[in-house]
Amino acid sequence: MLDIIINTIKNAGFVLVFPGILFVSIAGLLLAGIDRKVLARMQKRKGPPILQPVYDFFKLMGKETIIPHEANKTAFLGAPIVGFVSLVVIMLFLPIAGFEAPFGIEGDLVIILYLLTIPAVALIIGGSASGSPFAGIGISREMVAMMAYELPLVIVLLSVAKVAGGDSLAFSLNTIIDAQAGGELFITKWQLIPAVLAMLLVIPAEVGTQPFDVAEAETEICEGPLVEYSGAPLAMFKLNTAIKMFIMTALFSVLFLGGINLGIEGWYGIVLNVVVLFAACAVLTILCMTLIHAICARLKIEHMFKFYWTVVTALAAISLILVWIF
Amino acid sequence: MFKKMIAKSMAKSPWIYHVNTGSCNGCDIELVAVLTPRYDAERFGFKLAGTPRHADIVVVSGPITSQSKERLIRTLEQVPEPKCVVSIGSCPRSCNVFKGSYSVEGPLEKYTHVDVSIAGCTPKPEAIIEGLYKAAEILAEKREAMNK
Ligand code: SF4
Repeated sequence: MLDIIINTIKNAGFVLVFPGILFVSIAGLLLAGIDRKVLARMQKRKGPPILQPVYDFFKLMGKETIIPHEANKTAFLGAPIVGFVSLVVIMLFLPIAGFEAPFGIEGDLVIILYLLTIPAVALIIGGSASGSPFAGIGISREMVAMMAYELPLVIVLLSVAKVAGGDSLAFSLNTIIDAQAGGELFITKWQLIPAVLAMLLVIPAEVGTQPFDVAEAETEICEGPLVEYSGAPLAMFKLNTAIKMFIMTALFSVLFLGGINLGIEGWYGIVLNVVVLFAACAVLTILCMTLIHAICARLKIEHMFKFYWTVVTALAAISLILVWIF
Repeated sequence: MFKKMIAKSMAKSPWIYHVNTGSCNGCDIELVAVLTPRYDAERFGFKLAGTPRHADIVVVSGPITSQSKERLIRTLEQVPEPKCVVSIGSCPRSCNVFKGSYSVEGPLEKYTHVDVSIAGCTPKPEAIIEGLYKAAEILAEKREAMNK
């Protein structure tokens, strides 16, 4: 009996505090703040405070929520929550910072691949439930964007699984991390370098930052699927985008940096690992999102599709072939 | 604590929606200048929103023309509470040089409550930033009034 109670409390802690809702929200919002600050410095501006996304979130929470007349109420309000829940569940599968994933099982890489599409699907459902023509254009673009980045992402995951598994494919994140234990990080393997580049290009598309924010282009289609959202549901969607930033960079660090484990025992070892992991995520954010945002204008959807299915897919495929041969 | 955070954030992240009700474009350009790296209104959290649903502050420039009157009223209705209306330039105040034209329907006050009015033809970007900042403070007060 006692066991069950202790286990329940432990699991609740995993879901609510670390690595669940509280940790991932704070980390995501801070990353989004760093992104905006660094972008501003790159443009020689002073920029908003790093806590700006936190202020934005709370401000939106305090606004009135308008539900349009034509909207389907349940789908309209439920979509952001579905997206948020799926992102939190992903966090419970990720073995980051030397911390064993609470849900870690064989084949969790495939589960994460599926869960990663759900926030985008939630955006599509919410947009189509709002009944606005701008949202209609936005969701059709979102679908095309999803197809564009999903293919290279799958190929990257396949090549990593092949390297970690040796003769067979290893679809378990724990196996991938174990294969990198002792400092043999996958980022140093020459066969995987094209895959690293492909993954770096997949991250901004998955998160939907400029120049790949075709679905939410606020200057042409008024933020696409989000056009009718206001107040708390909009805050949820903004939070989802911020969390996605953290999850994608954390996934990168699991796949190629061994999940950042300095190998120090004890609780302060975990704290140190988390700090280093967050620093790594911030560097990755600046590298693959802020830098591209600062130098590129928004792409057209057909250009984005072509770019991902030629250049990025080719990079990932080269890696897959190299991995298979050597 | 949650309520305190909301009250604090209200003044710190005002999102702007810009409506042009027949301005000569002078005021619009100055508003854009406010958001460029030189004046950088983003350091106070200002952001240009794409749709009135996301907006906190509605910025109106230009005299209200017969064509834009109905659209202006509809746009203002779509903004969620609490909201602020800011007028830029002399046009929404007094119709300026366009006064007396057959197509001009009069100043902005006729149709809505104006929280901050920034005078000038065109106002300087510094003046616009100050006006918007005041509007953000009014926004926080309005939110507080909603709690009571
Ligand atoms: S106030 Fe002057 S600059 Fe502004 S819209 Fe009117 S005429 Fe143009």
